[in-house]
Amino acid sequence: MQTKGLKLADVLTTVVIAIVFGIVYKVWGPFYYFVKPFGLHLDQLIYGMWFIAATVAFLIIRKPWVALLAETAAASGEFIAGSEWGLEVLFYGLIQGLLAELVFAAFRYKRFDVFVVSLAAAASTIGSLVLDFYKGYIEQLAVWNLTLFIGARFIGAILIAGVFAYSLVKALEATGVTQMVRPASKEDYDSLER
Amino acid sequence: MRINIVHRETWLHHTNPSVKLLLLLVLFVAVVFIHNPNVLINLTIGFFILFIAYTGYPLKYVMLFFLPFLFIFISTASSMILFGNGETTWFRWGVIHITEESFYRGVHLGFRALIFALLGLTFALTTRPVYLFYSLMQQLKLKPKYAYSFLAAVRLVPIMIEEFQTVHQALKVRGVADERGIRGKLELMKRYAIPLLSQSIRRAQRIAVAMEAKRFTNERKRTFYYEMKLSKYDVLFFLYVLIVTLIAYYLAIAHPYLLIKDVR
Repeated sequence: MQTKGLKLADVLTTVVIAIVFGIVYKVWGPFYYFVKPFGLHLDQLIYGMWFIAATVAFLIIRKPWVALLAETAAASGEFIAGSEWGLEVLFYGLIQGLLAELVFAAFRYKRFDVFVVSLAAAASTIGSLVLDFYKGYIEQLAVWNLTLFIGARFIGAILIAGVFAYSLVKALEATGVTQMVRPASKEDYDSLER
Repeated sequence: MRINIVHRETWLHHTNPSVKLLLLLVLFVAVVFIHNPNVLINLTIGFFILFIAYTGYPLKYVMLFFLPFLFIFISTASSMILFGNGETTWFRWGVIHITEESFYRGVHLGFRALIFALLGLTFALTTRPVYLFYSLMQQLKLKPKYAYSFLAAVRLVPIMIEEFQTVHQALKVRGVADERGIRGKLELMKRYAIPLLSQSIRRAQRIAVAMEAKRFTNERKRTFYYEMKLSKYDVLFFLYVLIVTLIAYYLAIAHPYLLIKDVR
């Protein structure tokens, strides 16, 4: 039976993956503010961890809306677990997930390589920066400091939510679980023809 | 979040989770548009009282939960205080440039982060996830497949934690050393993430199959085990928020602590 949108199995798998990362997001909070040495924005290099649910879930399940659902669900999980940032994580999760989703949609959900994933991570970074702009007056930082801040966040995001997420899913593929959740690809049908 | 600490149930536990969530989201947006630090400080006090008095946890635990917020306050405020733009210089040393404007802006940001944290934790401490998702389905018409997926996933958390400990012990027994640096941290994370994720995915698939086998459908017309309704406590919560906001504005105008009215 073909239903519109994601099926129960997809939603459930996405949300379960997201909750795993929701716990990571929660644990990442204390790590983030203890790493924070005053002002040099080294902490921004690890900010990218908060974008990883969207990219990993999409790479595993490879279906539309998974990235948005995963990032929102992970943020909700972090929120329910009592995040130090409280309410704002819900908004950040929504925006970050939405922008990552847009990148995957722009490639018609057909590309799963490290480039597209990194692009999605960069898009999430833009989302988080837009919210920081409204919430944190970041435009009022001195120019050199702001450049460092934004640069570090982009680099960290691409390395963690892009490259690392990709390698994580590659390793996960070796366990065989991804076969259970992905839609049948063209190669699968081709192998039936032979 | 349910921590196994003996606590009493207060009226905040009996408010409707959807109402509570919506009100808090409105507050979040409103707070982002407050640029007067006096108002923000008053609001912080108002919600701090709510947090201390009505989450129902013993004072020492409430204070313990509050501890990380101080880090958030300092870390949020410090960047802006040390490196923000401003006219009236107080202190300059190398790249550090503290001005009157950046100082107040930094403090303002600190209080803002504090309010978000207070409201978020107040919600988390007084809301059971089960009630939250039942309420979201009934009051806000969230589709059951999303709500029950969340509930199933939340239910899996203790199993995940147990598995995490198993992996941890297995690595320890095999003498796998911790690696240092960011790279080491990521490598370490992978070691834990692969078994946890793969097991979780398998479990999620099994649950989905079981739910479908038991005729779980996405119909809107469902009956619910927990009937979530609105009550007088929701009105009470609304009034609390309203009165705190009004007092915050009144005091900020009548008795300001700081002369600065807009930190931008």
